[in-house]
Amino acid sequence: MEKQTIGIADMKLARNQGTLITYALGSCIGICLWDPLLKIGALVHIMLPINMEKNRTSPFKYADTGIRLTLTKMEQMGAKRTRIVAKIAGGAKMFNVPGNGSLGNIGQRNIESVHQVLRLEGIRLLKEDVGGSAARTLFFDVATGEGTVKIYGNIERKL
Amino acid sequence: MSLNRFEEMNSVQIDALREIGSIGTSHAATSLSSLLGTEVRIPLPEVKILGFNKAVEELGGFETISAGIISFLSGQINGMMLALFELEAINLLLDRMMGKTVKDYSELTEIESSAVIEVGNILISTFINALSNLTDVKITPSVPQFAIDMQGAMITVPMAAYGNQSDYIMLLGGTFLIDNKEIPCKLLLAPDVKSLNYLLYRLGIGE
Repeated sequence: MEKQTIGIADMKLARNQGTLITYALGSCIGICLWDPLLKIGALVHIMLPINMEKNRTSPFKYADTGIRLTLTKMEQMGAKRTRIVAKIAGGAKMFNVPGNGSLGNIGQRNIESVHQVLRLEGIRLLKEDVGGSAARTLFFDVATGEGTVKIYGNIERKL
Repeated sequence: MSLNRFEEMNSVQIDALREIGSIGTSHAATSLSSLLGTEVRIPLPEVKILGFNKAVEELGGFETISAGIISFLSGQINGMMLALFELEAINLLLDRMMGKTVKDYSELTEIESSAVIEVGNILISTFINALSNLTDVKITPSVPQFAIDMQGAMITVPMAAYGNQSDYIMLLGGTFLIDNKEIPCKLLLAPDVKSLNYLLYRLGIGE
């Protein structure tokens, strides 16, 4: 079965079958979007909550523009907004940051932004594996809509 | 004109940074050398301006497990300094310092982890001191923070912090040679763009 790797600030789509993989999500979030009827799946790897860049060269770097652009691409393939569901993983805090700067909360802010964007776009969030302090590798099976999260120490969780 | 992005640096500026890096890492290598009682050096520190994914790949891959020690820099410069030790490097340190080795990261006791953190801390503070003296810039490193996890996720910490300034990250650093053998231990400085401008200005090659 075909495997596709999604890098940081990147997105890939697959139809009918294939596994979408993104490695080592720290404070970043992997968002799996899936139309169960047409079996169109996408995985976006976002790094930051909100796109405030003027020239928008890298839409998949941000939760808001990343999710919206992915939904548009899925719709271009025939997916229907009302059918699309989401599963997300990531948003960890890799290190404790001294002080109360926004730096240490990037993971948490990413989670909140992803939740908000999904809500605004009317996408149902089926399941999530977020927060904590461990890095995650995320596998998304486009044929079944199943996700798998792998954590250091041979820990595997269904998503 | 000051830089808006890392990738706008010219070759004179990159050379100057490499020179700073060389002095910083050689100080760090000297302190490691006296700690271990053996020859330690970083042959050629590199200045790399890389896209996010390329940076992770060049540093040894997304899922490679490492012990990471990070220190957040404040003062006249904002940035982060990261020391990464793979198991082979940890064992070399533990063997020289405590006369024992471990088969896996999970076997590290609290004392052994503390020893690794301390080594990371020494490398980071020696580098920062050298940098600070050389440029006459005040830099305060935070208490070092420690994690054992996928390298890719640790390297994205500075990337995410400066990610809305750039699609690139600047890494200054290198890999240690101990007794002429390359060991998987890296020391990296990642400043934000504004601090990079300030550093270049202090060196007389920026505005």
